[in-house]
Amino acid sequence: MLQLHDVIKTYSGKSEVTALDGINLSIAAGEMVAIMGPSGSGKSTLLNLLGGLDVPTSGRVLVAGKDLAGESEKERSLFRRTSVSYIFQAYHLMPTLKVSQNVALPLHLAGVPANEINRRVAEVLREVGLEAREKHLPDELSGGERQRVAIARALVTGAALLLADEPTGNLDTARGEEILNLLRAIHRERGTTIVMVTHDHHAASACERLIKLRDGRVEGDSLRGGGDR
Amino acid sequence: MRFLLRTLSLSYVRRNVAKTLLTLLGVVVGVATFSAIRSAQGTLVKGIRSTVDRVAGKSQLQITMEGGVPEEVQERVRELPGIRATSPVIEQIVVPERGELGSLLVIGIDLLGDREMRDYGFDGDDADLDDPLLFLAQPDSAIFTRQFADKAGLKTGQTISLRLPAGVKRVAARGLLSPKGFSEAFGGNLMVVDVYAAQELFGRGRRFDRLDVRLSEGTSVAQGSATLEKALGPAFRVETPARRGEQMERIVANFVSGFNVSSGFALSIGTFLIFNAFNVAVNRRRRDIGTLRALGATPRQVQLLFLAEALLIGVVGAAVGCLAGTALSQGFLRMMGQTTETVYGVTSSGAVHLPPGIVLESMVLGILASLAGAWGPALSASRIPPTEALAKGAFQARLPGRVAPRIAAGLAAFGCAILLALNPPFGGNQLILSVLLLGGAGLVLLVGPLSRALLQIFIPLATRFAPVSGRLSSDALLGNPRRTSGTVMAMALSLTFVLGFAGYMGSTKATMTRWMDDALTCDLFVRASANFSRPDFLFPGALREELLQVPGVRAVESYRGVRPLYQGQQILVNSIQVGPTMDRTRFEFIQGDAESMRRGVIREGMCTVSENFYRRFNLGVGQQVELVTPGGVVRIPIAAVLRDYSSDKGTVLLDRTRFLELWKDDRVDIFDVSVVPGADVGQVRDAVRAKLAGKFPALVSTRQEFTAEIGKAIDAFYALTRITVFLALLVAFLGIVTSLLISVAERTREIGILKALGGLPSQIARSIVLEALALALTGLVLALPAGNLFALFMEGAIAEYFTGWQMPHHYPWEILAQLLIALPLISAFAAWIPARQAGRLEITRAIEYE
Ligand SMILES: Nc1ncnc2c1ncn2[C@@H]1O[C@H](COP(=O)(O)OP(=O)(O)O)[C@@H](O)[C@H]1O
Ligand SMILES: [Mg+2]
Repeated sequence: MLQLHDVIKTYSGKSEVTALDGINLSIAAGEMVAIMGPSGSGKSTLLNLLGGLDVPTSGRVLVAGKDLAGESEKERSLFRRTSVSYIFQAYHLMPTLKVSQNVALPLHLAGVPANEINRRVAEVLREVGLEAREKHLPDELSGGERQRVAIARALVTGAALLLADEPTGNLDTARGEEILNLLRAIHRERGTTIVMVTHDHHAASACERLIKLRDGRVEGDSLRGGGDR
Repeated sequence: MRFLLRTLSLSYVRRNVAKTLLTLLGVVVGVATFSAIRSAQGTLVKGIRSTVDRVAGKSQLQITMEGGVPEEVQERVRELPGIRATSPVIEQIVVPERGELGSLLVIGIDLLGDREMRDYGFDGDDADLDDPLLFLAQPDSAIFTRQFADKAGLKTGQTISLRLPAGVKRVAARGLLSPKGFSEAFGGNLMVVDVYAAQELFGRGRRFDRLDVRLSEGTSVAQGSATLEKALGPAFRVETPARRGEQMERIVANFVSGFNVSSGFALSIGTFLIFNAFNVAVNRRRRDIGTLRALGATPRQVQLLFLAEALLIGVVGAAVGCLAGTALSQGFLRMMGQTTETVYGVTSSGAVHLPPGIVLESMVLGILASLAGAWGPALSASRIPPTEALAKGAFQARLPGRVAPRIAAGLAAFGCAILLALNPPFGGNQLILSVLLLGGAGLVLLVGPLSRALLQIFIPLATRFAPVSGRLSSDALLGNPRRTSGTVMAMALSLTFVLGFAGYMGSTKATMTRWMDDALTCDLFVRASANFSRPDFLFPGALREELLQVPGVRAVESYRGVRPLYQGQQILVNSIQVGPTMDRTRFEFIQGDAESMRRGVIREGMCTVSENFYRRFNLGVGQQVELVTPGGVVRIPIAAVLRDYSSDKGTVLLDRTRFLELWKDDRVDIFDVSVVPGADVGQVRDAVRAKLAGKFPALVSTRQEFTAEIGKAIDAFYALTRITVFLALLVAFLGIVTSLLISVAERTREIGILKALGGLPSQIARSIVLEALALALTGLVLALPAGNLFALFMEGAIAEYFTGWQMPHHYPWEILAQLLIALPLISAFAAWIPARQAGRLEITRAIEYE
């Protein structure tokens, strides 16, 4: 489903930073992958490329056979809208929208009819266990609940690829565990491909495969149970 | 999109009510001034048209002549074939002593003969008017309209006090007109008197303002005017009332076009405010934009969201603006009406109404201004890369594109503007527009790099005074070149406008003052009318003998000015006893000299022309001026070219003897009185006043009093500069406030960290004030040369094109001093709100921000 060929990403600014330095990687549909590495090793950059939020400086990023590097800004936006969803460490909810409105946002962007939106929003809110909170504002929720709203927002489009950047980074162990369970359940029940960046070994162990990054290079890639790939 | 607007935009508005109102205010002010000026102009024009129409009655042609139509012309016209009736008219606007009643249009007509022309519709029982002879037997008789009488609480037989040229006089209402047709002219503020009484009241001598003509059945207007023109000669104008109305409208439209500049300025301030407000909003909502983009919003969707908000603001602001405009327009109408009345003798009274056409126009303009302001910020919002918007640190906006080509293009545009201004290949509005556009574009392109360079000079200075705050503010300014140069640009442009405008006005004033000192050299001025361009009274020529008998008077010269058309322009023909005048006055000669002037003008009946006449019409010494006089066209050789600022269209000077010969009209505008050596000017003035009191309206002033009065009139014109200075300071203030708000928002995290590290709120506040001062100072430094160039352009190319005058440059030091005091105060005050916001930031929230 996902293939990276010789991907290099550099940021030009006052000084040039090479965030990714020749990544080759392939992730199959239905996998649940953890990405680990020290801060600044290029994890977020990699995730952004996978989701079409950014394009590589060189190399190819193939998602479902399409090279995102060659797509226009608009085509990548449409791709994000339908085929991929995100969860962020800082939730990135709209502070001024109610829970249900936040969840409905991607569907509105895609122009889905109103009754269809209502049905799907109710469904995913039930799935993440927040049906009682739909009228609240994000400020009125706990961190765990906020991340669950973000997950509901990611699920509502039915995208086959879910990218999560340190989804448990802001949560205590118990809340983090809840989120991990939720992600695992989604992976199991929907067959969604999940790529999750994390610092947490426990969280990584919830995944079937672990990719390690260091200084913008793949340092290790192993299946759960220790077998190298 | 509707969902996004309803949820995201609305909640942003709800959280930022003050800022939204400020944004709205920009559109409201712009649209209000625009619609008010337009509707006041519309009402003025419409009022004038309807007054001309209604007063014209059944007359098909109107005969006028510069200086008045002599009485005997009526007899000549009456005998011509195809003329059914003629009727003389005198028109004059006067003010009742109770000013709140509004100006009155006095119409002098021949009551015995006028019923062929106008339908008076007297109110039923007015016995007096059954016998017009009775009316005429009482010299204070007047007829008012029913509307005016009701307003003034006036009944038949009662009197009302009016300010007439000879002083306050009481006139009696002998009859009332019922409100229809004729009596609705001038909004009903009409007073009808006998035309011969009007001649006395308004110093018309044995002349009328015009003759109304009604043609016989079967004579066409074309035939009629051909007959009249042939019989009367070129000094007379024969026009249909509609043509005359059109001409007055054109005069008003020309005059009002100056106001369009103001409303354009107001609208661009509105656009600028929107631009700033949207820049702030885009910055504030950066993360939301990033989230939207991550969720699959296309760049176009983001752009459309902001444009839709701008559209809403435009619609609401424009609607409110139209309402406010209706309220403002009455004031504008009064202001415009006063000027058109004193300068052109036309005005309208009555209430302003906002016609749907103007409403539509104003709405469209308001919305366009709003969209134009939001366009740039909306575009940059759509171009924010999602990764950057979501990133934790503040990745500051990139440097603007390459600098070298920008500077080159800016210099090229500026150079073109200067070249164009120095050797204009064409003139008028075209020239002004192209020079301003090129110069403006050059300035816009150059401001960025120049302000950066200037700030780099400023920074070491600031850090010397306040190490921490200075460093902070310079980082903020240089860290976001786009914001900085945007603010500096707005400041520089509006200050350029101010300095240029003030420079021009100052030069005009200085030039005029110097010329007045040279030209107005006698001791006393005895004027018949306060209004120079449209005198409402003239003295009989014989009054000179009486003045000469006043003790202390040594000499009296009679000045008279008429304004005939020359090549379609209303030039000024001055006449005076040139010999005695030359003995006491220093003329500045462009061509010829005092000797050739004396010989030519006094002995050979030649004329002199003013410098601007010479430039405008390209006529100098050795050539002849073709003047249209009552006796026909006369060719007068030019003896000299003089510097003279009495008319912006051009002046021709004749000796009084020559003038009397040509115009056969000995009436006088001003008597120039010289006193015997050693006499007390004040005493002579009082003696002259006493001599004339009760007989003639006379404004008797000493030289100092007269020049002071003219100076005051120029100053009133100068008030316009004060308004533009105020508007420019407003732009500066709002520009700095919004720019600093963005700065604080952008650096929220940084400020939070600083505070966490023990930075004092006062240090942070000081850095923001420093930032404001740096912005203001940079704008001013850039505006200094640009404003100077602008002023030079106005004094040179523009003034020469419109007036033919060449004015020496005069730097507007007073305005510069005012700005140097006001700008720092304003910018410090502007920094106050953002500084408070920064001081109040909670550390924990600030660090979490972005
Ligand atoms: N927008 C950006 N501009 C410049 N440098 C960036 C940007 N985003 C990330 N970087 C740099 O790229 C490197 C990798 O960053 P990132 O992928 O965020 O690391 P991680 O998520 O593993 O902590 C870091 O050195 C970071 O400073
Ligand atoms: Mg990261």
